[in-house]
Amino acid sequence: MDQKGLGITRAILFCRQLDPDQDVNRRAIEKELGSQIRFFPLPCSGRVDPLYLMRALESGADKVYLITCPEGACRHREGNLRAKKRIAYTQGLIEEIGLDRERLELIITSAGDRKTIDELTRDILAREGVTSSVNPNDADIEK
Amino acid sequence: MITAERKPIKEIKEMLAPYRKILVVGCGSCVAECAAGGEKEVGLLSSALRMDAKASGKEIEIREMTLDRQCVYEFIDQLTEVIDQYDVVLSLACGAGVQAVAEVFPRVHILPALNTTFLGETKEAGLWVENCRGCGDCKLGVFAAVCPVTRCAKGLFNGPCGGSKTDRCEVDPDVPCAWQLIVSRLEDTGRLDLLRKVHPPADWSKQQGKGPRKIKREDQRT
Amino acid sequence: MMTESRLKNVLTSGKFAVTAECGPPKGADPEVVKSKGKILRDHVDSINVTDNQTGVVRLSSLAACALLKAEGLDPVLQMVTRDRNRIALQSDVLGASALGIRNILCLSGDHQSFGNQPQAKGVFDIDSIQLIQAVRKMRDAGEIIGGDKLTGAPQLFIGAVANPFADPFKYRAARLATKVDAGAEFIQTQCIYNLNRFKEWMGLVRDLGMADKVYILGGITPLKSAKMAEYMAKNVAGMDIPEEVINRMKAAPATEQRQEGIRIAVETILALKEIKGVHGVHIMAIEWEEAVPQIVEESKLSPRPQA
Repeated sequence: MDQKGLGITRAILFCRQLDPDQDVNRRAIEKELGSQIRFFPLPCSGRVDPLYLMRALESGADKVYLITCPEGACRHREGNLRAKKRIAYTQGLIEEIGLDRERLELIITSAGDRKTIDELTRDILAREGVTSSVNPNDADIEK
Repeated sequence: MITAERKPIKEIKEMLAPYRKILVVGCGSCVAECAAGGEKEVGLLSSALRMDAKASGKEIEIREMTLDRQCVYEFIDQLTEVIDQYDVVLSLACGAGVQAVAEVFPRVHILPALNTTFLGETKEAGLWVENCRGCGDCKLGVFAAVCPVTRCAKGLFNGPCGGSKTDRCEVDPDVPCAWQLIVSRLEDTGRLDLLRKVHPPADWSKQQGKGPRKIKREDQRT
Repeated sequence: MMTESRLKNVLTSGKFAVTAECGPPKGADPEVVKSKGKILRDHVDSINVTDNQTGVVRLSSLAACALLKAEGLDPVLQMVTRDRNRIALQSDVLGASALGIRNILCLSGDHQSFGNQPQAKGVFDIDSIQLIQAVRKMRDAGEIIGGDKLTGAPQLFIGAVANPFADPFKYRAARLATKVDAGAEFIQTQCIYNLNRFKEWMGLVRDLGMADKVYILGGITPLKSAKMAEYMAKNVAGMDIPEEVINRMKAAPATEQRQEGIRIAVETILALKEIKGVHGVHIMAIEWEEAVPQIVEESKLSPRPQA
């Protein structure tokens, strides 16, 4: 099962508005990567608190992603702008303890390109160099 | 309110180096309002300290607590039952809170995690500005409710100095010239004549004349 | 050593006064002060000595004044409230008088953040107007702040500064009046490049009846180069250098710019002499004391009166 990747544990915080069916869509990947991935849906990315990000790192995440709606598309107007500032603040804090600021990453989805949470996650995995042979439909069949 | 900012973690770590069991104590009053020492900030700092210790192979134990007020005995007393179990208290209160806790527990090591900065106002979310020095002799009545002691970089009583241009302070163009504000507010309210009077030297003894100040009210005492 | 203020004598006898400025060195060498004094001698009535100007540590104003005094010159002691509290300031006022210094110019001083000690604590125990008032009371009533009597009063001609170019403009003339009320007898202004604005300010000063109550000396700083003009216009707080002055400097070839700067200074002085209520000029040739004799000469202000 080398497709399970590089042993990286990820926390993915994301705005629930991105994917109304996130609950269903993320199951396959969760099954596939097991303890190497945890999803945290937020009512809005602006609701992210630096404390969540710290707790995620502290509980073992090598990498924490925060995925937001496209800029200008937040239904609470500036939630995703706030998310950006909170990430920056927390990056400053972890740098103070010698961690790489890249351990926290903000991903702003693009407006023209609506993707489900599993698609977004696979993009992340692909970028990390993890190629997955399992496509979501296969996973559904397994279930 | 009293405002404060967290010290750099490097400085906090240096202070904490000799200790293993740490009681991190926040304050739910002023420093919580300015997002420096409330429950949330206690959580963030503790988390950072734990991660840092783990990365450097140091074993520490942290307990997080936040008191409603760290400058009033009734609240400080909540520490009585637990404080003995820890090597040190890292306080996220203002300087008054740190000292109040120290006074209640004379044998306990207590360290400040914040730099207490000023008396100020929450101007907007995430922006705090200084506007009172607690000089003990408030003259806002004659200065159109703009404090020259605090808001003029030179604290001039008979200002403005020669450096104000287009209503900005010469020291920091982000800051409005306090004297420009005073003059225009007095002008707008028809009281410009107040400025023809020479204000005599201030009585700084009310601020720092005999060391720390004290307010004593018999009617409030038990 | 009972001496008198030459500046006061020139002004009270109705003559047009000329003062210049001497910035003390960033070191302990007394010769620097003396040689600046030598350049200015016979061309000006009195010499201001700046007090750690722009917050940069220099040889003390009091000591430099004493050096000039010993050379037979008439120094003006600049005293800022930035660095000393009222105890030290009043003590130095007494000391200055004891050393034979007869003029004092009271200022708040440039903020310490501009200088080479930006971490210093700014004192500002009292402000410039309170200092004027204190010195006046020491001299006239023989008492210090709080009312204690002096055993001997200081003898000082008391000055203050005014910036006609800072904001709020309308209040600037009133501020001068407050300084006069507090006890200022002469005023030296910020460098004048914008003559129209200066004239407008003088109009307001006259309207307040101040032109007869105080001697006003217009500030002159000869520009060394177009670059200096641009730098000052942009970076020096409370400085007003109009575009046409900068352009005029730029139009002169580099080797001619110093002479152009002197020409502008001379023209300004000639214009100031015609303004009612202007009683003299204060020439601040920054690290360019050599320019002063020429400016004075060409402004038809030499020889200086024997006073």
